[in-house]
Amino acid sequence: MFQGLANGFGIAFSFTNLTFALLGALLGTIVGILPGLGPAATISLLLPLSFKIGSPVTSIIMMAGIFYGAMYGGSTTSILVNIPGEAASVVTCIDGYQMALKGRAGPALGIAAIGSFIAGTIGVIGLTFVAPPLAEFALKFGPPEYFALTLLGLLMATLLGGSSIVKGLIMVVLGLLLGSVGLDPISGAIRFTWGFFMLQEGVDFVTLAMGMFGIGEILINLEKELTTELVTRKITHLWPTLKDWAESKWAILRGSFIGFFIGILPGGGAVISSLVSYAVEKKVSKHPEEFGKGAIQGVAGPESANNSAASTSFIPLLTLGIPGNAAIAMIFAALLIQGVQPGPFLITEHPDVFWGVVASMYIGNVMLLILNLPLVGMWVQLLRVPYAILAPIIVLFCCIGVYSIRNTVFDIWVMGIFGVIGYLFRKVDMEPGPLILAFVLGPILERSLRQALLISAGSPFIFFSRPISGAMMGFLILFIFIQIVRAVRAKWTRVQ
Amino acid sequence: MGRLKHPGPGFLPFGLAIVLIILSLFLIFSKWKKGIASTPFWDHRTWLRPLLGVAILIFFALVVQWVGFLITTFVFLIIWMGVIERIRWRTIVSISVGTTVALFLIFRYFLEVPLPVGFFKW
Amino acid sequence: MKKDKKFSLVWMLCLFLLIPVTVGAAEKFPTKPIEIVVPFAAGGSTDVLARMVAKYAPKYFDKPLVIINKPGGGGVTGTEGVVRSKADGYSLYLGYGSGHDLVTPHFQKLPYETFIDLIPVCRLSVHSVVMIIRADAPYKTLKEFIDWGKKREQVTASVSTKAGSVDITFQALGKATGVKIVTVPFRGGAESVTAIVGGQTDCGGNHPSEIISHIKAKRLIPIAVALEQRDSAIPDVPTFKELGYNVVTVGSVKGVAAPKGTPPEVIQYLSERFKKVCEDPEFIKSMKDIGQPVMYLGSADFEKYLKDGFEQYGKLIKEFNIKLE
Repeated sequence: MFQGLANGFGIAFSFTNLTFALLGALLGTIVGILPGLGPAATISLLLPLSFKIGSPVTSIIMMAGIFYGAMYGGSTTSILVNIPGEAASVVTCIDGYQMALKGRAGPALGIAAIGSFIAGTIGVIGLTFVAPPLAEFALKFGPPEYFALTLLGLLMATLLGGSSIVKGLIMVVLGLLLGSVGLDPISGAIRFTWGFFMLQEGVDFVTLAMGMFGIGEILINLEKELTTELVTRKITHLWPTLKDWAESKWAILRGSFIGFFIGILPGGGAVISSLVSYAVEKKVSKHPEEFGKGAIQGVAGPESANNSAASTSFIPLLTLGIPGNAAIAMIFAALLIQGVQPGPFLITEHPDVFWGVVASMYIGNVMLLILNLPLVGMWVQLLRVPYAILAPIIVLFCCIGVYSIRNTVFDIWVMGIFGVIGYLFRKVDMEPGPLILAFVLGPILERSLRQALLISAGSPFIFFSRPISGAMMGFLILFIFIQIVRAVRAKWTRVQ
Repeated sequence: MGRLKHPGPGFLPFGLAIVLIILSLFLIFSKWKKGIASTPFWDHRTWLRPLLGVAILIFFALVVQWVGFLITTFVFLIIWMGVIERIRWRTIVSISVGTTVALFLIFRYFLEVPLPVGFFKW
Repeated sequence: MKKDKKFSLVWMLCLFLLIPVTVGAAEKFPTKPIEIVVPFAAGGSTDVLARMVAKYAPKYFDKPLVIINKPGGGGVTGTEGVVRSKADGYSLYLGYGSGHDLVTPHFQKLPYETFIDLIPVCRLSVHSVVMIIRADAPYKTLKEFIDWGKKREQVTASVSTKAGSVDITFQALGKATGVKIVTVPFRGGAESVTAIVGGQTDCGGNHPSEIISHIKAKRLIPIAVALEQRDSAIPDVPTFKELGYNVVTVGSVKGVAAPKGTPPEVIQYLSERFKKVCEDPEFIKSMKDIGQPVMYLGSADFEKYLKDGFEQYGKLIKEFNIKLE
């Protein structure tokens, strides 16, 4: 194995491969920052180019770079302007943006980059050593397990609800309802489209995110006549301080491990990891009140989680030949077309591909760190632009980004409507975070539930009889029970 | 809707709707009980600027397919900065031009995203 | 005199201007890249086929082929997009003959007429429906599976989409064998393969290209294929017919289609060039490696094949009384 890795590094350090790794990382970061275009779409655009390159190793190195580069970039917009680049960065918006408003955008971006680097590297180390057994573990996850996992994720999402649990729950329910718009894959029925053909695939995540987070935020800021910059507090250090580092290092480690395991699972890996990480950080923190107001662990943990999830999501592809998400599916197709069969034999038949890619992921993470850290200074400058000018540009960005998904103005309308809704929500102090997370997780939840019931011929016992899902459901029930007991106790003492 | 053991497509939305109603009632009720004074949503015309923002956005969506990206973006920026904010004319124009061009270049050439071409072919 | 001169000048000018117009009209198709729309997600078997074709196309086509994915609605969204596009040959649909073309119209009305609004250009491949089981399952052949299944309340089969070619095939199988087969839909072939590999269901239905690597790795065993003859990609697998069950379909046919009204010369050009790609030995080898048989059929033959396949599905649905519940 070390032989293989050594060979891999030899391959990865070739001039061509290094160049393409850098190219991929750069492209990925840009794609992550820009709204609308995601890593999957970018990779599919570049597929024809990969044929010209000729070597499968080089193509995969570049595409992998795009993929995890996008994870790095996605957090940038979350922190700076409260717009999540993709679902896995939604959680970063919560504390990241607050930090930016307090003039601490630099440390936020910095710790996100550092955390991502550490987590990504840990993910790749895992990939190197324990890929095959982990992949086998991932295979055991069937519909009942996904149901339990998503339920867990949703529960965590309600905890993000800020002040009131009830409000958080309402947002989750609304998010679930929004998620059911469109074609239902289990029965083929079309729901909630009101005859709008464009809604048949459901509401697009980017549209919803741009609308609720982006436009909504701008609309509410318009209420105050901001002639100056958004961030009026003096922008302090550009880098995280030693104190920040001390506070975050455990969050980063925890996040890395959470993302590591959950990221292997095909499906919602990165999103659920970031959620679980946030919840864990809030629970273990000595100052949970800080969360939601700019706690640095709220950025360090989830960002690390989603990056290590990005690394480990390659595991099912490289060891079993099963793509875990859309971007990886593109890489899968690229490999197939180049004559490389991703699967259990990849490591033996094409060790150069396997080890070359793994080695370049180590290098890629380093490259991204080097790329992103200096950029932090540049990004922070962006916040110095007077809001009056920044606001319309952000709106435009959102419009174009949303348009570029399906080339239809319809999506701009949808985004606008969600923008107004997001604005109204903020006026009544309801956080859009849980809504959008429920929107993403909801369809998975429902699908898994119905698939599981099909398999069990209608018996709900299946969720408890299987070891993995049984454990998760048990944990869930225990957790809810403890929460209720706590709430009841609190009321009790107040009454007395 | 399907039976409980065999949920159909209508099952989840229906169930969610019921939960939503219960939660909302709970929320309203608990606030009412606490006797929190209702604060006005908007005090003295703060709704004006957001409304203008929405209006300009609507304008953009309506017009962009018809007139084309470049012109619409340019006009959008000018109206926003001129009407909603109060900025000097010089700044408005220079930024509008600069941004429109930059966005056009980024999205059209760098990313090769097709942008709406109005009947001025711009 | 002056007026005459002016007149002839104008005439000359007009003639002059006419030249580029006529030259433009005489310019042969194609003058710009051709868009191939794949109405399924990237990375799926149809998408891989399209990209494979696009890879070898520059040898035989004068302009490159550009692949565009437009997934959604089980394939209907992307297909409709091509139906509504200009019939100039620059917008083609690859995947003609898939589930939503041959199976769905028996159950639902589509927003277009599959055989009227689209012109068949040529067939490229046929993705048959293969029944697979895990290597460690307690049954090893179809017969053993049926015996095992009859003793149970139900058996589960993972399929790619509800009411797709695989789903219908398994429902027919259930009726033909007397075993209660419950089909569990997933989002596409990749997800359904993951399910059967992980043992979430008792058996699964997929196309050969989706399972070939797992067959090689001895994780999955194909036990039957729903075709008239054996599939050349997996020649050792018997057909359902051979095993005594009359479950025969054309699987999921993958061909190219153009919108109604496309000029015949364009169709001719396209089908000739695609034929050349299908005859390229490297293309054939690459396709074989990924489990997709190259099965070219020209425009007229393809049209007949499709219509026959459509009727065959219709008969299957009637005979086994398959309903969309």
